[in-house]
Amino acid sequence: MTQRRMATALLALTAATVLADSAVVTLALPQILRELGGSVAGVSWVLIAFNLVLAVVAVPAAWLLGRRAPGPGTALGIAVFAGASAVCASASGLGVLIGARCAQAAGGALALVGCLELLVALTGERRGVRLWTVSGVVGTAAGPVIGGLLTEAFSWQSIFIVQVPLTAAAIPVALAVGRERLPAAAGSRRPAVAPNVALALLSAALTAALFLLVLLLVEGWRTEPATAAVTVSVIPVAAFLAPWVARALQAGPQAENVAGCLLVAGGLCGLALLPATAVVATLAPQALIGLGLGLTVDSLTGQALHDRLPRAHHGASTITARHAGVVLGLAVLTPIITVDLRHAQAPAQEAITAAVLDAPLPGTTKIALAQQLGDRLLAERGRVPDLHPAFVALHPPPAQQPAAAALESGLNEQLDRAALRAFRHAFLAAAGLAALALVPLLVTRRNVR
Amino acid sequence: MTPTAALPLGAAALVAAVLGTQVAAGGWDLGPTRAADPCRARAVVAVSTGLEGLGEQLVLLGLDGAACRLHTTREALVLRLAEPGARTDAEVDAVRAGLHDAVDRLDAEHRLPPASSLLDEVLVGSGLPDLVQRALHALPDSLINNRLPTAEVLRRAVDDLDVRALLARVTDPAQVQSLVTAAVKQAVKQQLLAGLPHPFG
Repeated sequence: MTQRRMATALLALTAATVLADSAVVTLALPQILRELGGSVAGVSWVLIAFNLVLAVVAVPAAWLLGRRAPGPGTALGIAVFAGASAVCASASGLGVLIGARCAQAAGGALALVGCLELLVALTGERRGVRLWTVSGVVGTAAGPVIGGLLTEAFSWQSIFIVQVPLTAAAIPVALAVGRERLPAAAGSRRPAVAPNVALALLSAALTAALFLLVLLLVEGWRTEPATAAVTVSVIPVAAFLAPWVARALQAGPQAENVAGCLLVAGGLCGLALLPATAVVATLAPQALIGLGLGLTVDSLTGQALHDRLPRAHHGASTITARHAGVVLGLAVLTPIITVDLRHAQAPAQEAITAAVLDAPLPGTTKIALAQQLGDRLLAERGRVPDLHPAFVALHPPPAQQPAAAALESGLNEQLDRAALRAFRHAFLAAAGLAALALVPLLVTRRNVR
Repeated sequence: MTPTAALPLGAAALVAAVLGTQVAAGGWDLGPTRAADPCRARAVVAVSTGLEGLGEQLVLLGLDGAACRLHTTREALVLRLAEPGARTDAEVDAVRAGLHDAVDRLDAEHRLPPASSLLDEVLVGSGLPDLVQRALHALPDSLINNRLPTAEVLRRAVDDLDVRALLARVTDPAQVQSLVTAAVKQAVKQQLLAGLPHPFG
């Protein structure tokens, strides 16, 4: 591998790592909550803080970078990101972790816009922008998968430990490549509004796809984080395949964007209308979302940057749009899911009560079981309970064990159904955000005509 | 068709195919099982035998009757009764009336066991003199069943049952069992005494 290729790979990897951080901790949040304490709302700030700071800091970071040679600024951004990652890994409290996540985002913003300039400097305008865009798509889509696997294999801290060498390796590259101030080139200075608005709305919807799906799998259906990570890997795989489909059809960016929005909205509707509480049932809707992600984010980012200079400023605008969209998605969907989860408790309790009352077990066993189940509900403090300990504590005689096992399975099915139903409105709201992304695209199309 | 139109149309067709398949497979209705209407008779089968099995059937049917009277579901009523706190008169009355309904329904469906089949369980710890117990064992089943019609015994038991105390201890299986058994045994004794010829009669 030539030095140029190695440098390109390291910068692309840095861009992917920073953007992966947007959702990399999604699957680790339950473990962080257990270890560092605090509330569910507090822990969600580990995710929100990063996206919010990235959205706010990206444009000022681009302005700073444009005033001098991009190399040192990019290297500084990467160093801050890597250093803050190390602090995240060693954080002993939620406050420190959230603070370090803010620093990560600030450094990450500088690193991202710098990587765009450096990739263009290394590989040319067209290829550089494309590499930066694809790195972002892959990082965003693969973040939760990688984070989930690392959490399951090691710990949540390992997510941040891995980021330190991955990004720090690009510091000398940034210093070597970006020593000269970039020449002013001709091009539109006005930001591309329609693609950025569409990006913001799609990012909000895609956050929902990843965040809500992971939440449903891990918290709702009590799936192991590693299984959940493998399950949601359908999205990045489909996203990776989408550009091949687009290239084969040669439909053009506008058609790709419209098709992508339809696929993301349709996939989210599919998640709202799953016909079974099985991981396998989520695969087809996820494939639709992944295809939509691959068709749109790549194409919209390309449109937002096409013939627009300074490039770093417009790159920063797309970062702001995407991460403001993530924050918007979390802000819109979190209250919906919180209220719906609360409303799901009564029907779930009634369904469980019915199953226990109608179970082919003696009355005394049912009363004892009901007592144990009530204790489990209290112990889980409003979360979807693990009912197995209640059945273990029951010690049914051998003759009753098959009925007890069937009842346990039936109760878990009822809980899974209740959790799925609780996510329906949030998935449909997210589908609405994806469908809304069609508006700026179609309005622009009409104006163009 | 141009590629520009083909891609969005293809995407829309793919979405329609996935959503159509999901809805056809029941995706629209999937949720926790809804509670049945307690005012409509449901089949109730007890796995226990003897007095315990009979008690289970009565309780399950009685809950339906009580819930129907209180205009709620059987499940919501059970969850409410499982909460600590005093029971209202309406709840106590509804549970007693529900148990009476349960006896009537089992009687009408000829599902009440004859008293002779429950006699051994009832007499254990009944407090009846040993001589009386031996005499009852010596009686032919037909005579016992004639003197102790199960439906009548149960109606007496429901009347005797301290429903408020039962609902206060509903989470304790041993206490529930003890209260129900005590009420049944008391009813058997009363029925037996009522059936005996009066010494001055």
